[in-house]
Amino acid sequence: MKHFIFGILALLFGLSGCAVSGKRSATAPAPVASASEATDFTNVPAQKTNDPLQRFNRTIFAFNDSLYTYALGPFAHGYVLIVPRPVRTGISNFFDNLGFPVRFINCVLQGKFTRSAQETGKFVLNSTAGVGGLIRVSDHVPSLADVPAEDFGQTLGVWGIPPGPYIVIPVLGPSDCRDLVGFVGDYALYPLDWYPLGIIHHSVISDAVLIALSATRYVGGLPKAIDTYDQMKSAAVDPYIAIRDGYLSYRAAQIKK
Amino acid sequence: MRTDLFRFILKSAPVLLVFAAVRLAYGSGDDPATMLRSSVDEILSIAYSGRENETLPARVRPALEKCFAFDLVTRQAMGPGWRQFSPADQKRVTQLFSELVIRTYSTRVVGTQRPKIAYGSPVTIASDRCEIPSRVSHFAASSSNEPIAVVYRMIRLPAGWRIYDVLIEGVSFVSNYRAQFDELIQKGGAALVIRTLEAKLAAPAASRS
Repeated sequence: MKHFIFGILALLFGLSGCAVSGKRSATAPAPVASASEATDFTNVPAQKTNDPLQRFNRTIFAFNDSLYTYALGPFAHGYVLIVPRPVRTGISNFFDNLGFPVRFINCVLQGKFTRSAQETGKFVLNSTAGVGGLIRVSDHVPSLADVPAEDFGQTLGVWGIPPGPYIVIPVLGPSDCRDLVGFVGDYALYPLDWYPLGIIHHSVISDAVLIALSATRYVGGLPKAIDTYDQMKSAAVDPYIAIRDGYLSYRAAQIKK
Repeated sequence: MRTDLFRFILKSAPVLLVFAAVRLAYGSGDDPATMLRSSVDEILSIAYSGRENETLPARVRPALEKCFAFDLVTRQAMGPGWRQFSPADQKRVTQLFSELVIRTYSTRVVGTQRPKIAYGSPVTIASDRCEIPSRVSHFAASSSNEPIAVVYRMIRLPAGWRIYDVLIEGVSFVSNYRAQFDELIQKGGAALVIRTLEAKLAAPAASRS
């Protein structure tokens, strides 16, 4: 039961960071191919998105919107007001550094060995000189400053697996079938999730510490996620489509990196 | 001596030809990178001048109109449905959509920390179009310090180089709006697009805290 609760907690908040942070799209930016089209792009039709569950998705989207606007948004705003920026940055850096196994293994699975070496260099440097990952020292090393983060959803995309239908998940927000499967792989590789999975023994870390760490991790990711969601919503004429297209485009671009 | 000069000219010809071609393509002092940098600098100077945000849309409009091909951006955002619009509808939609873009940009400018932008080299995608990649960091709105990848797509029009699309972390501004307008046009044509834009602009702009 305890494992189940940890699993649900992680599912609820773990994906929300990426889900509402403006990730991804099945509709890649329409390419403008030739000079003859330069002044008349209107002959390029909009790409059709794989969204057979749109009616159901829109219902969940409306529920999530209320949740973000009236609950999570004010909570994230309060967190930003109370916690000073350097502390927030340190928290974000710490949990990002802890995600090294996810990024490293997915680099290897995609055959990106140089990038996996860069990830290792980042982890070693930030864990030592960066005081356990609180300071991202690697940002000051040009070869380590801008390494794209890999995850299992991207690995599946690199392997040629299509995204499948677009899905809006309660609380988490936008996703697709491929990323849902990818999330399970990433969950198993993130060190904090090893405890509920039984990989780390209960004597190593107490329940209270784990709950505190997990809560800090998820709350720390909220402000950026909510801010991105608000930005996209405020500019949109149809927020559902704007976020669907933004999510799928972002993911398509991440896979190409 | 004349032979030496002739040989020198012959040897230099390919270099001179390439140089001349580049000058013809971009025009003297009219290269897209310079135009983009000066436009963005001008816009950021206005946006981060420390004056009140309420008047920002009006103050920043001339600078945005100078570098954005609003007509072209609107036409692309509407997609094939644009051809069904009457000239009056096209004019109205362009006006409203430009207004929305300017207002959206203005509401996102908060604080005094001007973002830092590192530009990459232009990548030619056609004789009259190019992409300029950039990395934007220390953006006041962002709660993290991670730089954001922004690609400017530029086109050479009779008036000079203009921005016709912006890709933020791989998400195309134009494609995103096109996906939204496509359904609206299918449902209710230009009338529904105009009504929706008017309603959007009538609602108070959501500003960042």
